[in-house]
Amino acid sequence: MPVFSRSCRRDERPAGEKARTPNVRGSFEYIRATTLEEACQLLLEGGGSALAYAGGTDLLVDIRNGIRSPNLLVDIKGIDSLHRLEAGDDGLTIGSVTHLNRIAEHAGLRGRLPALADAALSIATYQLRNRATIGGNLCNASPASDSIPPLLVVGASLRIQGVDGFREVPLDCFCTGVKKTCLEPGELVSEIHVPPTPPGTRTAFLKQQRIRGHDLAVVNLAGALTPRDGLLRIAIGSCTPTPLLLDPIETSGHSIEATAEEAVRRAAENISPIDDVRGSAAYRRAIVPILVRRLVESLMRGGA
Amino acid sequence: MHTVSLRINGNPHTIQVASTTTLLDAIRDHLHLTGTKEGCGIGECGACTVLLDGAPVTACLILAVEVEGASIETIEGEAQSGQLSDLQQAFIDAGAVQCGFCTPGMIMSARALLNANPNPTDEEIVEAIAGNLCRCTGYSAIIDAIKVAAGADGREGPGLREAAAHTEGKAAADA
Repeated sequence: MPVFSRSCRRDERPAGEKARTPNVRGSFEYIRATTLEEACQLLLEGGGSALAYAGGTDLLVDIRNGIRSPNLLVDIKGIDSLHRLEAGDDGLTIGSVTHLNRIAEHAGLRGRLPALADAALSIATYQLRNRATIGGNLCNASPASDSIPPLLVVGASLRIQGVDGFREVPLDCFCTGVKKTCLEPGELVSEIHVPPTPPGTRTAFLKQQRIRGHDLAVVNLAGALTPRDGLLRIAIGSCTPTPLLLDPIETSGHSIEATAEEAVRRAAENISPIDDVRGSAAYRRAIVPILVRRLVESLMRGGA
Repeated sequence: MHTVSLRINGNPHTIQVASTTTLLDAIRDHLHLTGTKEGCGIGECGACTVLLDGAPVTACLILAVEVEGASIETIEGEAQSGQLSDLQQAFIDAGAVQCGFCTPGMIMSARALLNANPNPTDEEIVEAIAGNLCRCTGYSAIIDAIKVAAGADGREGPGLREAAAHTEGKAAADA
């Protein structure tokens, strides 16, 4: 296999699929919704053929490649409430169409949840981050999503809006499989909520890529350590069908080394990596202990 | 079809586009501004970078219908009254253009950087153009050019002559 072909996303196309056409394919219609109710109604009426449209950085590529062929795109960026980004005493509230550069650059968010700011900054390129949204990254439900692990370790939940009102769903229950979520017809994610983190909480994000530039994760992971209860939470992406949140690890009375050993043991027990274009299962099994150890050490030493 | 009103390089335009028309196709095929290039068409290469209300974006992954009321800047907006912009001149002087296909997008990313940060560090320049692939230059001449333009902008920077000497010195060292 030629080595150079491994670094290009187009190789993830199933073998035998036709080369890309020069324009976005299909014959979809476009409607810019201005209220949540309107958007949900349009999505419900359209059934599976109507899709919520935000940054378009994944969806337009999928349409172009013939992976998805909607009849209607419901643009939800015109809904003002979905642009909220608030960092206060009651935690973080992030509107689903907030783009990733805004998340990376928001001082209040970085102060409370640096792991998410770093994760956002690690996604794609500056141009794409000006369009790609946090809600899109979540709803795409990729096993390699960079935004999911940092949100899992701080107990984030999603507000899901439907035609009859909204429901709150823990992020841990949102992804149901590779590229699958618990969203029902007529529903969309309107907000991400992160509960207040106890004082002194430290978070960190690590990402193993094939190249130093923009690339999807071979493995990504996030951790949160709350000194008050001594609990360490770790989430690992790209090693299970949906990002994996490990049970909290007790750090009180344990050395960094003993904690790292325990974290590595639990990670190794719970991951089920596969071979794909970005790395082999064996490589993932080899790199996860190293990354977990690095994460535990940086969090328990206090970062600086 | 949708009617879209927008400003391109300061000039108002109204165009009729299908839902499926990308901003890139609208710029090239409806407005006949062919300086903006399509490389990959999937947001990987940055050749189609334009500024949308000041922010660099890949025009291949935006629908034209979305940009109603927006202000777009393309490479054609760089030269004023037949006079090349500081960035265009610096790219020529530094030898930052080879095949030239990436150059319009590269200059628009650089423009966005200099608008936000007139005195970027090398690292900030590298980060700003990380989404623009160039298969010819090896990037260092491009980074030199952006540094020159930052200086030529009337701010601190190496200045045209000094950077040219730097480039020549490197060429001599390479030889």
